[in-house]
Amino acid sequence: MNSISLSQETYTQRLWRHFHADKFALNGLRIVILLFIVAALAPFLANSHALIRVADGHVSFPIFLSLEPIEWRFLLYVPLAGLVYFFRHRFIAHPGIFILAVIGFIAAVEIFLALTHPINDPTNDRDRPASFKLLPPIPYSPIESTPDQFSPPTWKHLCGTDSTGRDIAARMLHGARTSLSIGFVAQSIALTIGIALGGLAGYYRSWLDIGICRFIEVMDCFPPLLFILVAISLFESQNNMFYIMAVIGLTSWTGVARLVRGEFLRLSSLPFTLAAKAIGANDFRIIVRHLLPNALGPILVAGTFGVASAILIESSLSFLGFGMQAPTPSWGDILSDARRYIDFAWWLAFFPGLAILITIMSYNFVGEGLRDAVDPRLKMK
Amino acid sequence: MTHYIIRRFLLLVPTLFGITLLTFLLIRLSPTNAALIKGGGGEGGGKAMTAEQREQIVKFYGLDKPPLVAYGNWVGKAMRGDLGNSFADHRPVADKILERLPLTISITGSALILSYFLAIPLGVIAAIKRGQVVDRTISFVVFVLYSIPSFAAALLLILFVAGGDYLNLLPMYGINSINASEMSLFPWLWDRILHMILPVVCLTYASLASISRYARVSMLEALSQDFVRTARAKGLRERVVILRHALRNALIPLITIFALELPVLIGGAIIIESIFTLPGMGQLMFQSLDSWDEPVIMGITVLAAVVTLLSYLVADILYVIVDPRISYE
Repeated sequence: MNSISLSQETYTQRLWRHFHADKFALNGLRIVILLFIVAALAPFLANSHALIRVADGHVSFPIFLSLEPIEWRFLLYVPLAGLVYFFRHRFIAHPGIFILAVIGFIAAVEIFLALTHPINDPTNDRDRPASFKLLPPIPYSPIESTPDQFSPPTWKHLCGTDSTGRDIAARMLHGARTSLSIGFVAQSIALTIGIALGGLAGYYRSWLDIGICRFIEVMDCFPPLLFILVAISLFESQNNMFYIMAVIGLTSWTGVARLVRGEFLRLSSLPFTLAAKAIGANDFRIIVRHLLPNALGPILVAGTFGVASAILIESSLSFLGFGMQAPTPSWGDILSDARRYIDFAWWLAFFPGLAILITIMSYNFVGEGLRDAVDPRLKMK
Repeated sequence: MTHYIIRRFLLLVPTLFGITLLTFLLIRLSPTNAALIKGGGGEGGGKAMTAEQREQIVKFYGLDKPPLVAYGNWVGKAMRGDLGNSFADHRPVADKILERLPLTISITGSALILSYFLAIPLGVIAAIKRGQVVDRTISFVVFVLYSIPSFAAALLLILFVAGGDYLNLLPMYGINSINASEMSLFPWLWDRILHMILPVVCLTYASLASISRYARVSMLEALSQDFVRTARAKGLRERVVILRHALRNALIPLITIFALELPVLIGGAIIIESIFTLPGMGQLMFQSLDSWDEPVIMGITVLAAVVTLLSYLVADILYVIVDPRISYE
C-alpha cells in the first residue's frame, strides 16, 4: 500500500495497529473469541452429569464418561493455539498462508465432527445421592426434559424452560456450538469456492471469465432462501449438520467470487506480477504466492461478514423448520418453539434472539474494523 | 447506449436458461417428488397409495420423462407464455402467482419506500455531524438494528404489542379481520393498514440500517469533493451547500442501490410472511416446496430471476441517466 514508507512496520503489523485502535472491532473480536470458548466448553457449563461425584467412597467423574466424540473437539484447539503461538513469527512473515491454514484446520475438524451424530444419555446427577458432588453451573443437559414446563426465568432455570421442560440456558449454550460451527464452516466452504472460481476468472480472463461471470449471475438470481430450501430437500433423508453447512456454503460464495475476481484483475496487471512472470514463475506460484496474499485483506473482510450472514441463514432455516433436526439444540430451533407459544412465552423468543443479535453484531464489528484496517482511506481520516 | 441495452438484453437469455435449467434439475434430482408426497410422503402418511396409483400419477405429470426432455417441454411451453398448471390444484401457475403478488408487493414496497424516506435523512445527518455524538449514536443504533434477526424481532413485537399477554394494540396475524368482507371502504382500509404495520416495521428496520449506512458513506464522499469546498468558499449558506451541492451528488449511488433492491419486492418477505401468516408469495413458495409443486416452483424462479436481471439492467442504465459523466460507449 504505502510504496514509500520509512518505518519498518509490516502490512500485518499495520493492519493489527489499525484494528487494535478500533474499540468496537476489538471488543467484537473479544466477544467472538469468548463465544467460541463458551461453545467449546458447553458440556462443562451445562450438563446434568456431575463434574466430580463422591459416593460410597468412590470418586468418579461422570461428565467425562458421558462426553461424546463431538464434545472433545475443544482438545484439538489447544494444540492449534499452541502451534499458532509457536509459529507467530512466521505468521507475521506469511500471514496469508498462515491464516488460510488455521481456517482450513478448524473447518476440517468441524466438518468431521458434523458428520457424527450425537447420542443422548438421560441420566442426571442432580437427584442421585452422593456424599459430595460438583455440578456444572447449569445442571441440565440440552435435550433433557424436566417436569417444569414453561417456567419463566427463575434462579433454577436462568432462561426459563420450553414446552417439554427443557432448560433454555442449557439449550442456548449447546446451540452456540451449532450456530458458530455452521457459520464458520459454511463460510469456509463459500470462501474456498469463491476464491477458486473468482481467482480463475480474474487471472485467466477471456472465455473462462465470461463463463464464470455468467454462472455467478445465475446463482445471484435465485430468490433468497428458495434455492437453499430446494437444495436442502435434496438431502431430506440424511438431515444433519454437515448438509446444512454444505448447502449454505454452496449457495453463498458469489460475493466472494466477485470480489476475488476484481482483486485479481487489478493485481495481475501490477508491476510485481509482471516481474514474477518475467523471472519465470508459473501460474500456480503467481496465484498462491503473489496474488492471493495481496488480495487477502478484502477476502477476510468479506469472510467475516459472511460468517455473520451464514449464522443468520442457519437460524432462519432452523426457525422455518428446515434446519437442524429436532433434538439438536440450535438458536433458531428455540425461536421456532417460541412461535408456537407466542402469546406468553417471551423468554423463548428473547434469549435466543439476543444471542443471535450479539453474535452477528460482534462479527459485523470485527468485519467493519478489518475493513477500515485494510483500507484506511474508507475511514475518512 | 441503445447498443449497450440491446447487448445486455441478449445476455439475459443464456442466464435465464441457466437459472431455469439449474432449478429444474435440482427439483428432478431430489429423491422426493409430487407423486410420493401425494401418496403420503412415503413415510406412511396414513393413506399410502398402491404402486399402480403412484405410477399413474407419475405418468400423468410426466415425471417419468428424462429430466432434459421434460425441461425442453417446459421451456417450449414457457416461451409461449404458458407456465403450466399447478400439481396441487391444477390451476394455472400464472394465476396463482398473480393473485399473491399484490399483497407481497404492497408490504415489501411500503417497507422499501419507508426505509428510504427514513434512511436518507439519518445518513445525511450522520455525515454532516461526522464524528460527533449524533453521528456515533445514529451509527451505533443503526448497527444494532442491522444485527437484530427480523424473525426474533417479529416474535417479540407480536408478543408485546399484538395480542399476547401484554399490550393488545395491533392484530396478531393475517391481512384482514375475519369480518373484513362486510366492511365499507374506509374501515376496510384502516383494518388493512393495522394489519400491515407490524410486517412493514419488521421489514423496514433492517433495510433502513443498510441504506442509511450507504447514505452516510455516499454523503461523506460528496462532502469531501472539491466542488463542495468551492461552494463554501464562494460564500454559499451551509444549507445550500449541503442540499443543492452535496446531497444531489450523494443520491447518485443511492438511486442505483434502489434499483438493486427491487428483487426484494418479490422474494424479500418469506419469513415475515410466514410469521404473520400473510397469503403472499412467501406462503406460495412454502406451499409449493411442501407439495413439491414443480410448475409453481419454476414459475416463481422465473419471475424472481427476470425481476433480478432487469433490476441490474435498470441500475446500470440509471447510472448513466443520473450521472451524465458516465457512459457505456
